Amino acid sequence: MLVGRTFWSPRKRHDAVATASSNAVRKVREDAARRWRDSQAARELEGSLISLAALIGTDVTNPDGEAVGQLRDVVVRWTSRTSHPAVTAIVVRASGHNTVIGAHWVEMSSSSGVRLRAHAAYARGAQRRPGEVLLAHDVLDRQVVGADGVDIVRPADVYLAAVKGGIELIGIEVGVRALLRRLGSKRRRGRVRPARVIDWATIRSFTPVRDDGTGHRGRRSDLAGATGTGLRLNVAAEELSALRAAEVEAALHQSDDESEGPSP
Amino acid sequence: MSVIDAPAHGSARRPPHALKRVLGLLAILGPGLIAANAGNDAGGILTYASAGAEFGYRTLFLMVLITVALVVVQEMCARLGAYTGEGLGALIREEFSLRSGASAMVLLFVANAGLTVSEFAGVGASMEIFGVSRYIAVPIALVAIWAVTVLGNYTRAERVFLVMGLVFLAYPVSAFLAHPHASAVFSNLLWPHFLHSKAFLLLSVALIGTTITPYMQFYLTSAVVDKGVTPETYKGERIDTVNGAILSDVVSIFIIIATAAAIGGSGALTSAAQAASALRPVAGASAEQLFAVGLLGASLLAATVVPLSTAYAIAETAGAERSLSRKLSEAPLFYGLLTTQLVVGAAVALLPGNAVELVVNAQVLNGFITPVLLTYILILANRRSVLGSAANGPRFRALATVCVAVVSVLSAVVLVQTVAGWL
Repeated sequence: MLVGRTFWSPRKRHDAVATASSNAVRKVREDAARRWRDSQAARELEGSLISLAALIGTDVTNPDGEAVGQLRDVVVRWTSRTSHPAVTAIVVRASGHNTVIGAHWVEMSSSSGVRLRAHAAYARGAQRRPGEVLLAHDVLDRQVVGADGVDIVRPADVYLAAVKGGIELIGIEVGVRALLRRLGSKRRRGRVRPARVIDWATIRSFTPVRDDGTGHRGRRSDLAGATGTGLRLNVAAEELSALRAAEVEAALHQSDDESEGPSP
Repeated sequence: MSVIDAPAHGSARRPPHALKRVLGLLAILGPGLIAANAGNDAGGILTYASAGAEFGYRTLFLMVLITVALVVVQEMCARLGAYTGEGLGALIREEFSLRSGASAMVLLFVANAGLTVSEFAGVGASMEIFGVSRYIAVPIALVAIWAVTVLGNYTRAERVFLVMGLVFLAYPVSAFLAHPHASAVFSNLLWPHFLHSKAFLLLSVALIGTTITPYMQFYLTSAVVDKGVTPETYKGERIDTVNGAILSDVVSIFIIIATAAAIGGSGALTSAAQAASALRPVAGASAEQLFAVGLLGASLLAATVVPLSTAYAIAETAGAERSLSRKLSEAPLFYGLLTTQLVVGAAVALLPGNAVELVVNAQVLNGFITPVLLTYILILANRRSVLGSAANGPRFRALATVCVAVVSVLSAVVLVQTVAGWL
């Protein structure tokens, strides 16, 4: 409903042209096969993808499993060289204060939540460092704008994944189902099934402080710091095709390979 | 879509100073005036007329208070739009939660659907005074509204609707010609003469509900964004908003005075013809026709603004493109929602009998949304993280808090009353 399929994939337009019945039959079969692959891939991803929306507000535990506070935010460092930024810290709310804990001390998974590796974790200063993005504050629910300035969607979820050497930001989920998942019961919120994902590599920048002639969006950046009001893609709204589960899985493997060796 | 394109021709001919100022004022007619005036829709006019007929001048002081509250609320909304570049729906999702945003949208959608039906019913009723069947009038109105919003020049259309609404300026004239008790009017305006009765309380709350309605706040914020108002140009928008709110309430006050002077104390209104009879001092025998023209303009304006507010709010909560300056294909969700509300609203308005009444009852939901929405607006406008230096100062904050609290409590009262009445 919110994100019509035709809106997303240029393939759909192609469908309309395929009038010959044999073509149509083949199409249906292909679609079914693709859906099946997607659902398989989605199921496999269920364990490895971490949903930010499901984690925010949950307890952060110490090695003994006791709650020490609630997860407020996850910080990644986003520079021009990283297409999938690594998690550098988490923000924990404990006894009325926000504490920033370096990612080095943190384990994260969709099944067991966020856990500290040691009883005494090093808490660093709360100042935002250059290039740092607070995913819940700056990305989740913010406006995503195409390269042509057309508003597209607001992310319903942000996906992270454990790769060798840490946790990385994979992409943003824009599917309606993810939206419903967040509106649903707490139990269901942990069941991450990616449906429509925009690869983080597609995202060019935060919406600049002052947009070109078309509008005035982004003025909140003045107030909210360097990262402000939303995300801008490097493709136009019409050209955007969201990744399906199978593609996400492929991207994930690729991301895993990349982080094995130091990239040039 | 710029509303500031009108005064350009004025500078070439170098009009005298006063004329220039008037032109300048007309040029900034915009979202503020539209939003507030949409509040004077068919339901609003009948409520004001009813207040005059049943309680004479006694509700006037309340109207003054309502005007203050309306100005305060609308100003906060316009400011939020201008400084954040985002509508209320988007701000609620970002600053509160997805859940709050989603539930606000569901309630707004249902309540506005009910309102749209009653606006189309108003179109039908006013054209029937001219002997045109509503089965002809309503479809034509539907096509016209759809065409100007989706295909045509909305800014021009909104001025046409506003001018039609100006017919209600006949009420002030009528009010003077009916020779109301000047002293009674002024003492009622300046000092409360409230009655301690259930009927008076219910009517008071109805007055608040029809003057401060959620769609007005959603529409204003989004329209300010769509118009492209920035903090630099906010000054003009603020004048538009404050003037619009005051002007529309002054008209409401005169409707009460004119009706009170003509048929005051005759009990509750039973028909639109009675409401029209208050225009007799101006129009004589053709009072009813004059009333019908005004009712038509008001209904058309509201039938445009209400679905627009739904479309803006839901599209921005979802993050989809929403702007009247976009093409149909560029903002499918926005125009889809707009079209759906218009078509369904017009269709239900043409259904015979109880269906209309049932749907119109959905407006009661507004009594539920208003307190929550006003609280959100207040919190947002107080937040420095949202508005920076434009956030509410301490004095404005105190005033706004009182306004929001009073309106909220009274809205809650009518909600409880209505629901209890159903059970």
